[in-house]
Amino acid sequence: MWATLRSRYLHLSAKTLPSSSLTNGSWKLGFSGLNQTFSSSTVERRSNELLSLQEVEKVLSDVRADDVAVVPVGNQCDWADFMVIATGRSQWHVKNIAQALIYKVKQKQKGAKRMVLPSVQGQETGKWIVIDSGRVIVHALDEKARAYYNLENLWTAKPAQKEPVEELTKVFVKVRCINNSKKPAQGSD
Amino acid sequence: MRTVLKVVDNSGAKKVMCIQALKGKKGARLGDTIIASVKEAMPNGKVKKGKVVYGVVVRAAMQRGRCDGSEVKFDDNAVVLVDKQGQPIGTRVFGPVPHELRQKKHVKILTLAEHIA
Repeated sequence: MWATLRSRYLHLSAKTLPSSSLTNGSWKLGFSGLNQTFSSSTVERRSNELLSLQEVEKVLSDVRADDVAVVPVGNQCDWADFMVIATGRSQWHVKNIAQALIYKVKQKQKGAKRMVLPSVQGQETGKWIVIDSGRVIVHALDEKARAYYNLENLWTAKPAQKEPVEELTKVFVKVRCINNSKKPAQGSD
Repeated sequence: MRTVLKVVDNSGAKKVMCIQALKGKKGARLGDTIIASVKEAMPNGKVKKGKVVYGVVVRAAMQRGRCDGSEVKFDDNAVVLVDKQGQPIGTRVFGPVPHELRQKKHVKILTLAEHIA
């Protein structure tokens, strides 16, 4: 949890993310660019080490999860870079996906003095399990939950709903009202 | 207890009244779970008036300190309805939600939210 906190603050302070390369679609290129720009800050790489995108994709294909969707949300929100959404065929399958991801993280950190595990929410019910590993967030749902919550619609339609900031600045312009009454204005006396 | 909170998701309820704070002797704060009773609801929604539901406080008028020393407070008290296992009942959350939900393990509400303060 400290790693995610520290990484989040570091990200807030140093916003030099090459977002254009991330949205090009070739994930390998994007990640190599990330590692190059943040080579000086070791904490940043620590949060990447929890779970990277390629490892998540490999684990999901090993577990045979259906309908894996990767959404780059780096330009929409600053607390996550990628959202991976996967479907499980049954509740047991969904729990299995979560267990496989955690096992992968434990394998990566074997032999370290202190293991940093990603936080898992929803493990008791197999309906929607979220694995929060820093910049990559994995959602494992079953088919009913995926149709109900409809996360892709929410995250792919996001940039179109920006507030019109220019109209707001025009609203606060002071307008002098015309004095049509016979009484003089208060300041003129 | 007896605080009326606004519901900011599309589960059908409009106002709930807190009947118990699950953790803490002095009451629930931002990010805590409460038990509430629905006082006002939309005619066709998933929850009806008088139902006892669980909720997560997402906006509170009382300020909450952050670990960098700043404090965050909102203009109203708002809640998102959740079931007993922590799954949100609604599918979208309106209005801003604070970062504190991530530490309190409510990432699901963060993903459904439209704006994060």
